[in-house]
Amino acid sequence: MGRVIVSTGRGGAGKSTFVALASRYLKPPKLLIDLDPDESLADMLGIDLSEKGKKTISSALYDIIEENKGAGRTGYGLLSRVLESTIKSDCLYRDGKFDLISLGTKFSVGCYCAPDAVLKEFIPTLVKDYEEVLVDSPAGLEHLNRKVVVDIDDLFVLLDPSEKSIKHIERVRAITGELKVNYDHLYLLGNYRFSEETEEYLRSAAEDYLGKINYDPDVKQYNLGGKSLLGLPEDSPATLSVKRILVKAGYKIGVGT
Amino acid sequence: MMARKIVSTGRGGAGKSTFVALISRYLKPPSLLIDLDPDLSLADMLGLDFHKEKKRTVSEALYDVVEGRRRGASVSTTTHELMEALLWSDCLYEGKGFDLITLGTKLTEGCYCAADEILRRSIPKLARNYTNIVVDSPAGVEHLNRNVVSDINELFVICDPSRKSLEHISRIKKIIEAVGIKYGHFYLVANYEFDEEAERYLQNTGEIYLGEIDYDARVEQYNLQGKSLLDLPEDSPAPLSVKRILKKARLV
Repeated sequence: MGRVIVSTGRGGAGKSTFVALASRYLKPPKLLIDLDPDESLADMLGIDLSEKGKKTISSALYDIIEENKGAGRTGYGLLSRVLESTIKSDCLYRDGKFDLISLGTKFSVGCYCAPDAVLKEFIPTLVKDYEEVLVDSPAGLEHLNRKVVVDIDDLFVLLDPSEKSIKHIERVRAITGELKVNYDHLYLLGNYRFSEETEEYLRSAAEDYLGKINYDPDVKQYNLGGKSLLGLPEDSPATLSVKRILVKAGYKIGVGT
Repeated sequence: MMARKIVSTGRGGAGKSTFVALISRYLKPPSLLIDLDPDLSLADMLGLDFHKEKKRTVSEALYDVVEGRRRGASVSTTTHELMEALLWSDCLYEGKGFDLITLGTKLTEGCYCAADEILRRSIPKLARNYTNIVVDSPAGVEHLNRNVVSDINELFVICDPSRKSLEHISRIKKIIEAVGIKYGHFYLVANYEFDEEAERYLQNTGEIYLGEIDYDARVEQYNLQGKSLLDLPEDSPAPLSVKRILKKARLV
């Protein structure tokens, strides 16, 4: 059973950056799951899913519904059976380093409850095939209310330096507590905009603060140019700080990973 | 009177709420601000404590109505009818210069579809009482799929300097078209992180680019301390640049 790691936080705090940077240090075989309909994780890793012949969950779901409507078949029970086989064949992107599944944008009216429900149902099965599963969340709280991932080992909350971030932590604790979203650890991470002063503030406010992701001009440059963050040098400030954070959280990062 | 509907949207952290907080002072009153983000950041930015003001969020009011019905309260009125009344009495904060309604966090399982739907159906009615309705969106695209505001006058997309922002722009255009959201104008606004090179990307998208929200050390400081952005001096860089943007959009 793989370790389930979730990265969450307010918009723009650095959730996907953290996932992209942490992914190289995880134990293989590893799976990345992008729950953001804005699909930013694949972009950050320099992967064009459609070019690789892969579908997002949203588009696979749309296609299946359309096909079955044509044949006069409906019903969620049927859908979930069809989906399980489709997800592995059509949605799971594999390359040597990691596998990736993306929720994806939908171009029809309505919320993302259905594609989220598909993933929620399927994640416990998927987790069995991997050593570590790293989930990137959409900004905000709704994914927690939806209980997409119920059994979390490590929950990393990415923070920007604002009072809103402090309130965000309280809300995350309230929702996960109330809804019984289980996690073993909740870790707080500062993003590159943290100063010494704000770090000090957070350290005194919360015991689970693990440190910040250091400012790195390359990260900005890579994101602007659409280059994969996996191409960042091992010794760049952002990469090094993420490695340090993972070590603090007890991850065994060996030489050569 | 039918309010002009202004929507601020964009990727997480781009500056949607900052933009809403800053433009609110320049719009012709009365304005209604609506915060669709369950993470409640707009009220914070305006220095408002909803509970201290004895106001409830839409999610909180809805929870009570649903619980009341479950415990056997009268079912002769629908949830929506009850909620419509509560929006006015319990959820509408009336302040100097603007009113505010906020979606709010919920501590129960499930999505925010129901609370969003209440607002979606109420906005056309609320619009009769205001000159402007300014909607602050949650990060991402789901609120567009939900078609919460189907008839927008001015849609401002706040951008951060990344290729993801450019992809976000084309993605939301596709969603808007597929879902059937109508809009008068589609404007791009750059956040403070842009330099000239990055601005050129926005100028070449084929959309109307209105300029940049200038870097303002006070904005960062106010947000950190939880101070209201309404207290920023008029001649501070961020409010000045926002005023310039509004002028270009002919909103002041």
